[in-house]
Amino acid sequence: MIAYVARRLASLIVVMALVGVCVFLLLHLAPGDPAAIIAGDNATPAQIAGIRTKLGLDEALPLQFLRWSGAVLSGDLGVSIFSNTPVTTLIGQRLEPTLSLALATLAFAVPVALVLGVLAAWRAGSSIDRASMIVAVTGFSAPAFVVGYLMIYVFAVTLKWFPVQGYTPIAENVADWARHLVLPALTLGLAYVALIARITRATMLEVLAEDYIRTAKAKGVATGPMLLKHALKNAGVPIITVIGIGVALLIGGVVITETVYNIPGIGRLVVDAISKRDYPIIQGVILVFSAVYVVINLVVDLSYTFIDPRIRY
Amino acid sequence: MATTRRRFVQGSVAAATLMAAPAIGRASETPAAAKTLKAVMQGDLRSFDPIWTTANISSYHGAMIYDTLFGVDGNDKPQPQMVDSFGTSDDQLTWTFKLRDGLGFHDGTPVTAADCVASIRRWAVRDGAGQHMFLRVKDIGAKDDKTFAITFSEPYPLILDAFAKAGTPVLYIMRKKDAETDPMQQITEYVGSGPFIFNTRETKQGAFYVYDRNANYKPRPEPASGMAGGKIAKLDRVIWENVADDQTAIAALQNGEIDFYELPPIDLIDQLEADKNIHVEVLNKSGQIVWCRMNWLYPPFNNVKARQALLYLVNQNDVMKAAFGNPKYYRACASYFGCGTPMENDENTEWFKEAPNKPKAAQLFKEAGYDGRPVVILQPTNFAVFNTADQLLAQWLREINVNAELAASDWGGVVTRRANREPPEKGGWNIFVTSASGAAFGNPITLVGHQANGDKGWFGWPSDETHERLRDKWAKAQPQDRLAVAKEIQRNAWNFVPHVYMGLYLQPAAMRANVKGVIGMPELIPFWNVEKT
Repeated sequence: MIAYVARRLASLIVVMALVGVCVFLLLHLAPGDPAAIIAGDNATPAQIAGIRTKLGLDEALPLQFLRWSGAVLSGDLGVSIFSNTPVTTLIGQRLEPTLSLALATLAFAVPVALVLGVLAAWRAGSSIDRASMIVAVTGFSAPAFVVGYLMIYVFAVTLKWFPVQGYTPIAENVADWARHLVLPALTLGLAYVALIARITRATMLEVLAEDYIRTAKAKGVATGPMLLKHALKNAGVPIITVIGIGVALLIGGVVITETVYNIPGIGRLVVDAISKRDYPIIQGVILVFSAVYVVINLVVDLSYTFIDPRIRY
Repeated sequence: MATTRRRFVQGSVAAATLMAAPAIGRASETPAAAKTLKAVMQGDLRSFDPIWTTANISSYHGAMIYDTLFGVDGNDKPQPQMVDSFGTSDDQLTWTFKLRDGLGFHDGTPVTAADCVASIRRWAVRDGAGQHMFLRVKDIGAKDDKTFAITFSEPYPLILDAFAKAGTPVLYIMRKKDAETDPMQQITEYVGSGPFIFNTRETKQGAFYVYDRNANYKPRPEPASGMAGGKIAKLDRVIWENVADDQTAIAALQNGEIDFYELPPIDLIDQLEADKNIHVEVLNKSGQIVWCRMNWLYPPFNNVKARQALLYLVNQNDVMKAAFGNPKYYRACASYFGCGTPMENDENTEWFKEAPNKPKAAQLFKEAGYDGRPVVILQPTNFAVFNTADQLLAQWLREINVNAELAASDWGGVVTRRANREPPEKGGWNIFVTSASGAAFGNPITLVGHQANGDKGWFGWPSDETHERLRDKWAKAQPQDRLAVAKEIQRNAWNFVPHVYMGLYLQPAAMRANVKGVIGMPELIPFWNVEKT
């Protein structure tokens, strides 16, 4: 097990290095020049060239890459071209809203999806099954921004139950923090509910057809323990895998949800940076996202051993 | 130790108190809601240095925390602001300025003439008007703590216009130590002498920006007018919220979560006008001009006939209608100096009465020797107005058998590619569309796009000696003579066609009905004089 974890952590370094090269090359080869954007609409070509020199953007690409990767290895993700603020500081400032949103989404989506999926499988073909699958299909089909606008219109503008936008740090006011997260978490969680509910239903259907379930029923095991202890636990591996994959969906969804609800998280940070070609921020955020994704996959893989003792590394 | 229910409750209360402690501390410093205004401005404030960048939002930030030597009033006339008295020598070559009493930076130090001189020097490196002025400056220096003088090699009557202009970069007065920063690099401390203080402690970059009233500011006695007059901060705090999504900002305004929204989409204005709690107003009456730049370096637009063809091809009303819909908020504009500006005139605008005239445009392209080569139009798909204008222009060109090709990218891609002087087939371009404040077009010196000095000038690189001579003549003219020279410039300009206008739109701002006193002017949104009733 320890050797496996060590191998996976070593592979993390390789993945990060590859991501670093790809991100750097894609950004610098794509059209767009931060110097031209900084200089503004009235700048002359000479002024743009001056800014480019100051930013070191006129140096050879390999030289720029070496300088950047050397700094990254020493923990320095660089400084934002526009705001002059260290990227690590900017990411640190934006981490809490994004983490809060992600955790709130998971806290809402995973239990709801599991209940829907288990119920749908237990009563396959019934109205419960059809209703839960309607929720799932809607969750998949409705884009986050459409769901977001509808939620805002109904629950914020019309009913005034929740604020339209913004974020309150948890240290400032816990109740406000929660109030600001309800609508974004519901919006972002809908697709996640759909994904997990569908895979839960499909896996549970397979498991419920197994001999040991029939045996459990014959022994008179109550429905609840039979579904949760005997069936759901054995269906756990694919569900956990999908939850892990879903984190990638979450990362993508965070960008849109944070924009719609004006949450100052990492998603907003990277979108703003892309529009301005703020290379250090884009590179830094993608590296962080990649690391998070790799670590989540590792955690998911390790969790298999707890769900299914037959799995050994 | 066993956890009892009582211990759990005690622990929870203690934890909640600890978590709320920072908020309790802050609450004592936070002004009442009635004295706090929350605004959604045109974009995120990415740079705090209004000289380093020409971004309008950074200039707004500058207007909050810095003061200016002069400011344009509501009639576009320069008026003294930090300056108490000023005068020129008999030979008109030396200008002397004396600062008024009571000026102080937010750190408590007094504003001195040396601060002003350093600020002028840094600004002049980055600003078109400053560069134009400094070509003639022989000497600039402080005479004493409150007086400085500038000596020119020839009379320069435009000096007050340059000092007072509201177009970016504005001449904001910084501390000497900040103003001595390399103009190509950003300042790192944001200490001004203006009516608001930048609260860096409570600002969260990318999320919101906090400005507190400067209780020590000494406003001028005159009533506020444009950037001139008494800058009285009636609000204790102004917060700029960075809301990127239009729908969200509108919902937040309707819900009372924000008080002011600078750029609501014009197609949603009807919705806002129908809300009795919201007031909609055009603050910049000279509007925003959408204009089309042609690349003079390559065919077909290296030929004057092809450029003239675009004058006859473009239907400004159609562009504006497609982009904005509601005719209340747009108009066509024929004057080279924009519409509603002091230099507006109708010299040599017969083409405007004829346009659109596609047969004539087709004939002019033929006379230009157009050979069917692709005409590359840079199309920023993330900029709705320019995207619409580009698509219409491409369609009209195709209708007269010009092989128009749209090169799609985001705006960042356009601003990069437009600097490329290679031929269009090698990454260059033929046409791009952009916009600028209508007021900026009224001054042939300050708007860099008014230059026609070839490869030293702005993208498109137009070249015309007569135009440059006339611009110089305008710069030397006394204020009362400038309109006559402007007519000469326009007569010549619409013959050689440095660029083509695609319409003028008036952007309304939306605010809660209890927000009063917002000063309407081009280029800037000042928050002094504003109050919540």
